[in-house]
Amino acid sequence: MLRPLMSVAALELRTRLRDGTALVVALIVPIALATLFGLALGGDDPPLRATIGFVDLDRGEFSASVRREVMSNEQLKGTLTLRELPSRQEAQRSLDAGDIGSAIVFPQGFTKSVGAGSGGQVAVLTSAESPLAGVVANAIVDRISSVVDARTLAVRAALAYGVAGDRVKELVERNGAAGPGLSLADDPMEGGKIDLSVYYGSGMAALFAFFVVGASFRSLLTERRQGTLNRMRAGPIPQWTPIAGKALVGFGLGVVSVVATWASSSLIFGTSWGDPVAVFALLVAHVLAAAAITMLVASRAKTDAQADGVTMVVSFVMAFFGGSLVPLYNLPGFLQKVALLTPNGWTSTGLIRLAGSGGGLTTVIVPIGVLCAIALVAGGLAAAGFRKGLLG
Amino acid sequence: MTATLACTGLSKRFGDVLAVQDVGFAIAPGEAYGLLGPNGAGKTTTISMLVGLLKPATGNVTVCGTDLAAEPLAAKAKIGYVPQEIALYPELTGRENLRFFGRLFGLPRRELAARIDEVLDLVGLSDRADGKLGTYSGGMKRRINIGAALLHRPEVLILDEPTVGVDPQSRKAILDGVERLVADGMALLYTSHYMEEVERVCDRVGIIDHGRIVAEGTRHELVAMVGSADTIELMLDGDVDGAFDKLQALEGVVEAVRTGTGSVRLLAEGGRYVLPAIITAVDGRATVTAVEVIEPDLEATFLHLTGSKLRD
Ligand SMILES: Nc1ncnc2c1ncn2[C@@H]1O[C@H](COP(=O)(O)OP(=O)(O)OP(=O)(O)O)[C@@H](O)[C@H]1O
Ligand SMILES: [Mg+2]
Repeated sequence: MLRPLMSVAALELRTRLRDGTALVVALIVPIALATLFGLALGGDDPPLRATIGFVDLDRGEFSASVRREVMSNEQLKGTLTLRELPSRQEAQRSLDAGDIGSAIVFPQGFTKSVGAGSGGQVAVLTSAESPLAGVVANAIVDRISSVVDARTLAVRAALAYGVAGDRVKELVERNGAAGPGLSLADDPMEGGKIDLSVYYGSGMAALFAFFVVGASFRSLLTERRQGTLNRMRAGPIPQWTPIAGKALVGFGLGVVSVVATWASSSLIFGTSWGDPVAVFALLVAHVLAAAAITMLVASRAKTDAQADGVTMVVSFVMAFFGGSLVPLYNLPGFLQKVALLTPNGWTSTGLIRLAGSGGGLTTVIVPIGVLCAIALVAGGLAAAGFRKGLLG
Repeated sequence: MTATLACTGLSKRFGDVLAVQDVGFAIAPGEAYGLLGPNGAGKTTTISMLVGLLKPATGNVTVCGTDLAAEPLAAKAKIGYVPQEIALYPELTGRENLRFFGRLFGLPRRELAARIDEVLDLVGLSDRADGKLGTYSGGMKRRINIGAALLHRPEVLILDEPTVGVDPQSRKAILDGVERLVADGMALLYTSHYMEEVERVCDRVGIIDHGRIVAEGTRHELVAMVGSADTIELMLDGDVDGAFDKLQALEGVVEAVRTGTGSVRLLAEGGRYVLPAIITAVDGRATVTAVEVIEPDLEATFLHLTGSKLRD
């Protein structure tokens, strides 16, 4: 039983290693992309240090609460500095000069407008030179926006209900409808100390795992077209041998690819992804899920070209919604929920938790469990598909 | 004596197409059995069921007494299957292709290298074995295609149209090799479009049409089925109906069939001698634009039984 399996695996491995593009996809591209993203967008070393301009033309409770929170937040201390500036023009000048990384502008009458139920707009000035400071400023403003939205809604409801205008504010605040108690206690980025290189490294590892394992299942379809699959199946070997042999190699190369991306990202940026055992276990679980999903694609595809196309689309969709391309905290709330439908989402959140918390295997036991469950379900569907199609 | 390869009651349906219905035959050790049938007759479908690639809807297959469904690995170990299409890796050399399939099918490493040399010699490709398969001619690929099925010394060799698209030199090498294997005691199942190959190689022939075996026997028995009559194919122009009536009534004509608007097939004793009478009978009603006399042979039998020629 083992010998035929090894024969198939050996040929698959040899074919993959001979094929230069396979190596490029497995190793060079994910490492290169992770490095480029990390360099272009990642925090400087020492990590994140940003000065954000603060223009307060409103002098109301909202701006005051932001100022208070940023000053008193332990995790942001030494990382984030607010610089008070007199006007939007001045802020723009400082931004252009590179003195600040971004700026938040509270317009005149903001608090009053919100109190009247008309909402309000806080402006953010960003610069391409310091995207990270822009991300932070936007994250802060996002939080203000949700408070403002809730507040506006409550005020409008109260007004519609016939409450007198001068009593609305008191009524709304008394009933706890999102007062200006803006809190940055859990800071804008989950695990705020994480270098962005970890996001992009893990993202690329998660994305390319799909391509690397997918190529092995795709070659199953090439062999069907070539007739070699039927020749194998007509031989005295168990029906599953060709699939199992290829899965073995695809899985092995997938693990090599993600580990190489992990290792190179850690080395190049000098950042740790967290407890190595936990990181490895999580990455292996991700490759397992990716293998099952691409196997499912191959089991339903009619040709190898079709499998290629579908694998490409599936991989990118999973990568995008799972936070492999855009860090999850940049996505709106409902998309962060959608992320949990993809293996990439669980892998990203798991890795970020590991890097941020310094926890071990138990920290990521849930993501690993979910990834294994995804692998089980997709693998089961793939087996049924193969039984009906390829082996029917 | 147990047959080397036997099947009974095999059927397979693809959607609305009944590709194979109630096919059965048995091949003795050292016997060469030919399956002769037009395109789409069900030859490949039958073979796919014999080698375990397709599950038959009904019927069963035994190889040297071993039931294929019950003990697939043991049964398949005794079969050498050569697919209709070239089923090899173009990026590997001929020798590497053989090595892969030999190892996959369980040949011990020590034995494998020697066995590959033997097989290469048998198919006459010893000197080209280390070139990439992708660079081979069609005939050379066909020869490796056969070689890959011989490595594990099967009891029965199953060849699905092994000479399609092959140059005369390769065809000769293939037929010589196959004859040698049969002479050495291997059972053979051979399908082909080429009547002369089947006549040359096979001891017994089954004629398959629309998924059914319509006749089976030695070449001699099959030819005797149409008797000593010759088949005459006529193309007529003019009053074909009138001419056909005349032809039917003609002395010596055993059977007359309209095969198209202007074409007629006659079965006649001593065809060559009836020909002048045929021309005279038709004269005045229609003109004969083409005529072909086929003397009794497997081709004529095939035509008689299936109503179609092997090659169009
Ligand atoms: N996988 C399939 N799906 C649907 N129909 C099929 C399939 N395989 C074969 N058929 C149909 O079954 C019938 C028998 O096909 P088969 O390939 O067995 O014929 P054949 O005798 O080998 O023909 P040829 O001489 O062209 O190789 C044909 O009508 C064919 O269209
Ligand atoms: Mg065929």
